[in-house]
Amino acid sequence: MVSEKKYLKANSVENALKLALEQKENFKFIAGGTDVLVNKFQGNETVDCLIDLSEIAEMRSISKEENQLKIGSLVTLHQLHQHPAICAEYKVLAEAAKSVASPMIRKTATLGGNLLCENRCSFYNQSDWWREAVGYCLKCDGEICIATGGKKNCFSKFVSDMAVALISLNATIDVAGSNGIATVKLEDIYTGDGVNPRRFEKTSIIKAINLPQNEGYKSVFKKLRQRESLEFSSLTTVVTVSKNGAVKIVLGGVDPKPVVVEGMLNNNKEDFIKQALKKARIVDNDVFTRKYRHEMIGVYLKKSFEEILTNN
Amino acid sequence: MKQLSIIINGKKHTVLVNEHEMLSSVIREKAGLTGTKIGCEQGSCGACTVLANGTPVLSCISPALRYENAEITTIESLSVNGELHQLQEKFVEKGATQCGFCTPGMVMTALDFVQQNPNPTVGEIKEALSGNLCRCTGYKKIIEAVAEYTKEQTGEKKEKNNSASVGTSRPYIEAGEKVTGSAEYADDITIKNSLHCKFLRSIYPHALIENIDTSEALKLYGVHYIATGKELPIKFGVLPISQDETSMAVEKVRYSGEIVAAVAADTEEIAASACKLIKVKYKPIKAFLEIDESLNDIGEHEKIHSYGKFNNNIHKKAELRFGNQQEALKEADVTSKLSFEFKGISHGFTEPHAATAYWDENGLTIITATQVPHYLHRALAKVMQVPLNRVRVIKPYVGGGFGGKSDPFPHEIIVSHIARKTGRPVRVRLSREEVFITNHGRHPSKMTVEMGVSKDGLLKALDADIAIDGGAYGSFGVVTSYYNGVLLQAPYRLNNFGFCTYRVYTNKPQCGAMRGHGAVNSRFAVECLIDELAQKINMDPCELRMKNFLVSHTLTVGQYRITSNGSRESLKKVMEQSDWKKRIGKIEFGKGLGVGCGFFISGSALPIIWNELPQSVVHLKVDFDGRVVISSGASDIGQGSDTMLAIIVGEVLGIDMNRIFVLAADTLLTPVDMGSYSSRVTFMAGNAAKDAAEKLKQEIINAVTVAKKCSADELNFAECSVFSNDKTVDLSWDEAIELLTAKRGAVSVSGKYISPKLGGDFKGAGAGLSPSYSFGACIAEVDVDVETGYVKVKNIWGAHDCGKAINPLAVEGQLEGSWHMGMGQAMTEQMKYFNGLLVNNNFLDYKIPTTLDTPDIHTNIIETIDPEGPFGAKECGEGAIHPVIPAIANAVYNAVGVRITKLPISAEDVLKGIKANQVLQNKISL
Repeated sequence: MVSEKKYLKANSVENALKLALEQKENFKFIAGGTDVLVNKFQGNETVDCLIDLSEIAEMRSISKEENQLKIGSLVTLHQLHQHPAICAEYKVLAEAAKSVASPMIRKTATLGGNLLCENRCSFYNQSDWWREAVGYCLKCDGEICIATGGKKNCFSKFVSDMAVALISLNATIDVAGSNGIATVKLEDIYTGDGVNPRRFEKTSIIKAINLPQNEGYKSVFKKLRQRESLEFSSLTTVVTVSKNGAVKIVLGGVDPKPVVVEGMLNNNKEDFIKQALKKARIVDNDVFTRKYRHEMIGVYLKKSFEEILTNN
Repeated sequence: MKQLSIIINGKKHTVLVNEHEMLSSVIREKAGLTGTKIGCEQGSCGACTVLANGTPVLSCISPALRYENAEITTIESLSVNGELHQLQEKFVEKGATQCGFCTPGMVMTALDFVQQNPNPTVGEIKEALSGNLCRCTGYKKIIEAVAEYTKEQTGEKKEKNNSASVGTSRPYIEAGEKVTGSAEYADDITIKNSLHCKFLRSIYPHALIENIDTSEALKLYGVHYIATGKELPIKFGVLPISQDETSMAVEKVRYSGEIVAAVAADTEEIAASACKLIKVKYKPIKAFLEIDESLNDIGEHEKIHSYGKFNNNIHKKAELRFGNQQEALKEADVTSKLSFEFKGISHGFTEPHAATAYWDENGLTIITATQVPHYLHRALAKVMQVPLNRVRVIKPYVGGGFGGKSDPFPHEIIVSHIARKTGRPVRVRLSREEVFITNHGRHPSKMTVEMGVSKDGLLKALDADIAIDGGAYGSFGVVTSYYNGVLLQAPYRLNNFGFCTYRVYTNKPQCGAMRGHGAVNSRFAVECLIDELAQKINMDPCELRMKNFLVSHTLTVGQYRITSNGSRESLKKVMEQSDWKKRIGKIEFGKGLGVGCGFFISGSALPIIWNELPQSVVHLKVDFDGRVVISSGASDIGQGSDTMLAIIVGEVLGIDMNRIFVLAADTLLTPVDMGSYSSRVTFMAGNAAKDAAEKLKQEIINAVTVAKKCSADELNFAECSVFSNDKTVDLSWDEAIELLTAKRGAVSVSGKYISPKLGGDFKGAGAGLSPSYSFGACIAEVDVDVETGYVKVKNIWGAHDCGKAINPLAVEGQLEGSWHMGMGQAMTEQMKYFNGLLVNNNFLDYKIPTTLDTPDIHTNIIETIDPEGPFGAKECGEGAIHPVIPAIANAVYNAVGVRITKLPISAEDVLKGIKANQVLQNKISL
C-alpha cells in the first residue's frame, strides 16, 4: 500500500540526468520545490522519486557572455529581483520576479522552476478528496473539463510570470538532455494543451536562460491579482519594444500557454489587442471571471502602450 | 526511511525520516521543537518559517533530506540565557503578538529581513512580511515592532513592565512565551502513546448512506479502531434548541465534507491510508445548495432535516416589528430600498483545530483549541453518556477563534469516543482544508432593506427582509437569525423598525458565529442605505448620522437598555482625523471617503443554556507566599482576557503582576464561565474578577483592622502595600497577607457576575439583550482605478467606545484586528462553492489581506465609562468590525458613484457601474 519513496540529490547536471534515466518515468525533478511539493501535498503529483537539483552549483550563476546574459536556472526569484544587472538592463524581469507568490517563497523558488510551474485551475488545484467529489477532470485523468461544463479540452491556465517576461525579451533556454545541450526559444516548449502543457522531455533540465543584450528593450509589466502578495496570476501582460521598433506582447494566466503577439511599433495598436484577445482561450477557472479577464487584456495592453510611448 | 543528520539550534540530531518528509515535521516531531507552527501545509501562511543555513525557508514545503548537515535555526534559539532577543522584546512591548500562532514565523521572517536590511522603510517592512499571514493584529503593531527595532538597536534593556493597573498599556502576561515559541497550542502537546485520528469525509452534498465497509481498512497494519456514525447517535449542538448534529453522519450525509468514518492508527499516514480503503455506498439525493431553493416547497424531495411542519428547508423564522413601518415609510419624505448579497466568510484563524483526548480514573480529559470549554464539557457528557463530573476540558493556548472555535465539534467528540474504545490517548489535527469545511463562519446572506428619512434628516423607518444560508446544521443559527434584525435598532433612534429573517438549511458546511455575529451584513446594508438617503436629501452622511444617534441612558424601540454611548464622540473623532469636513465633496473622481457606524453587545444578558448559574465566576486564592491565584473559566484565545483579569485584580488589590497568577479554562480546576463569545469576557468575567478581588480586599481589611486596631476606611491598597492615610499602618503586601493567613491558612474567595434583568416581555425580546453596548465609527479612504475598477483602501480611521480600556494596548489590538478583518470581507474574502464543494479551501485562494493590502489604520479608543462594566469597560473585540465594511463601500460610492450591494467588492462590478454611469451621463448630456 505505502510505496517506496525516494529522495535523491544531484550534484551535477550529468549526475541529475543519470539519476533520471535510472528512475525511468517515476520521478520528478525539483529545484526550489515550492510548486511541486504543494502539488504533491494535494495529491496532484504522485511520483515516488524526487530528484533534487538545488545543489548543482553550475546552475546558480548569472554571467555576461558575448551578446547575451546567461542566467542559471537555479537562481532564485529573490536573487533575480535583487540583481544589479537585471534591475538595470531587464527591469521587467525584476518586476515579474517580485510579483510572484510571496517574499518567503521567492527565496526558495527558482527561475527554472517557475518556467515549469504546473498549469492551474480551480478544479485541479485541490485535494484528492475534493477532486473525487467534484468528479475528476481532464487534467486528473477524467473525461471532461469541469470549468467549461464538459469540453474535451483542458484550459488550465499558464501561470509563469517569469516566462511571460522572458519570452517578450526573446529569451532562449539551454536544455540539457540525453543528447547534450540544445538551445531553444523559450516559447517553443509550451504546447497549449492544459493536460500536458510542456513539450519537454521529462528527463531534460533547463540549465540556463539566455537573454539577448543591447536590444534597447523597453517593457511594461502588469499583473491582475486580488492581493498584492501571495497570488498566482489571473492575467499577466508584458509588452516589450526593442530599439528597432519590434513589439512583442506576451500574456499569461489566460490560456494554457503564453499568448504571444508580435509586430512593429508603428502597427495599429488595436490590431495587437484584437489578436491577443483572439488567441487567449480564457475559461472560468479563476477568481476573476472570464469576461473581466478578457476585458482587462485590452485595458492592460492599451495602458502598456501608453506607458511605453510616454517613457520614450 | 533514511537517516538524516541535521543541526537544529546548534544541536546535532540524527534521525530516521520518511524520504518525502518535510523539514517542519522533523523540527516539530523528531526534535520536539513545537515553536515552529503548521498553519496551512502549503507555504501560504508563513507560520513554519525557520532559517536553514541562515536563509529563511518555509519548513512545511521544504524536504527534510535537502538539509543533510545543514544548520537550522528555529524560534527557540533566539533568546539566549533566558533573555529575549531585542526583536522579540519589541514584539512583546508593542503588542505585536495576540494569539501568538503566527508569531514564531513572523519573528523569523522579520529577523532575516532586518539582518539583510538594517534600515528599512515601512514600505520595505510591509513588503518583507507580505508572505506571513496574521489574522489577529491587522499587522499594525507587528510593523511598528519591526520598525522600532531597526531604529533602536541600542541594546539597552527596558525595565520589564510589571504593572497591573487599569488604563495602563501592558503586554500580555504570556507574550514572552508566545514570542519564544514555548507557548503550547493543542497540537504542540503530546500525550505519550497517542493514536492519530483521520477522517473519511463525504463526497456528496446530500446522500443516503447505504453501507460502510471498513474491513479492508481494518486489515492495514497499524490501524487500531475505525468509528462510524452509528456508534455515536446522540445529537448535539451549541444551542439547546438546535441539537441537530452527530459527530459522524448516521443515515445520511448533509454536506460534502461531512465526516463519515474515523480511523485511529499508529501514525497519521497510516490513518490516512486506511481512510482510502473504507468503502462507502451512497445513494445521492437532491441537494439544496442555494437560499432560494431551500425557502420554497421542495415537492417530492427529501428535506435536509426531517423535523418542522412545512415541506421546505427553513430552519428558523425570526420576526419582530415595532411601531408602524409601512405607515412611516409612506410618510417619510425620501425612502430608499436596496437588495444586498453577501458571500460566506471564514474566521481564518491561523491555528487549525486540534485536540487530544484520553480516559483515566478521572474519566475523560480533552485538551482542545476551544473558545467554550463549558459548552464542550456539557456536549461531551451528553454524547458520551457520562456524568458531568467525568469530563474535563482543558484549553491550552489557542491560535485565534473569532467565533470559529465556539461550538462543540465533531472531531472533539470522535477522539473522545475512540480514546474510550481503545483505552489510548487519541489526537487529531485538522488540515487547513478540513478547517475550512468545518466552517461555522459568517452566513451567506441576501437581504432587502428599506429606510425612510425626513427632509431634515430624521430617520423614520427601517424594514429588513433577510434570508441567511445556514448550511447543513443549526450551530448558533437561531441567534444569528435574530441578530441580523435586532442589532439594527441602534445606534440610531428608530421608532418604526422591523425585520423578518429566514435561516435555511442547505447542503453545505454549517455556518455559525463569527466576529460581529449576525449583524455584520445587515449593518452593512443599513449604513449603505443611510449613505444613499443622505445623498438624496443632499446632506453630509456624517451629519445625518449625528442627527439620529441615540442618546446615552435610554431605551431603544425594542427595549435595549443603552447606558453610556460614545457614538457621537467616535464619529467626531474620525471626522476630525480624516479632515472629513474640508475634504468631503471636494475630492477628485476616483478617490473617495466613506463613513459607517455601528454598535455591539457586551455579552448576552441571557445564557445559551437556560440555568441559574452566574454567567461568570472567578475564584481568588492567596496563601502565605502572597501570590494571588486567579482561577477563571474564561478562554483567552489571543484577545488578552487572562491579562485583563490580572489587571483588574491587581488594580483592586494594589499589587503588581509578580504577585498574580492566572489559572484559566480548565473545567476541573476553574469555575464555570460561559466562554469567549459574544464579546462577553471583559464585561462578565471582568466583573466577576473585580467582585472577587473586592471580597479578598475586604478579608485583608478585616484582618489588618483587627490586628492593627485601625479603622477600615483609613486603609489604602497601592504599590504592593496596605497603609493608612497617616502611615501609622504601613504594611508590605506580604506582611498584610501574613496577617490574613495567620491561624487560618490560605484564603479563597469567589466573585461572580449575573446580568440584571433586562428587556421587554414579548417573544424574541431576549435576542441581543446585553447589560451594555459598545459604539463606534469608521471613515475609510479609497482610490479606485477607473479603467480597471480596482479598489485600493488607503486609510482607515476608526474610533470605538469601549467604555474604559482596561489595557489600552490590547484594546487597540482588538480594534485593529477587527478593522483588518472587516476590510478582508469588504475587499477579497469569500467562500466560493461549486456544487456544494468549497472551492477556495486554503490560504492561497481564501484571500486574507496581507501586509501589502492593509492600509494605514488610525486607531482611537473612546472612553465613556459604563456604569456597570468593570471600571466602566465594555466590549471591544467584535463591534469594531461593523462600521468598517460599509465605510469602505461608501468610499467607493464617493469615489466613482457606484453603489456596492455585493461583497466582496469586485473590480468587475465597480467597473460595470462606472461604465453604466458614463452611459447615463452621456444620455443626459445629449
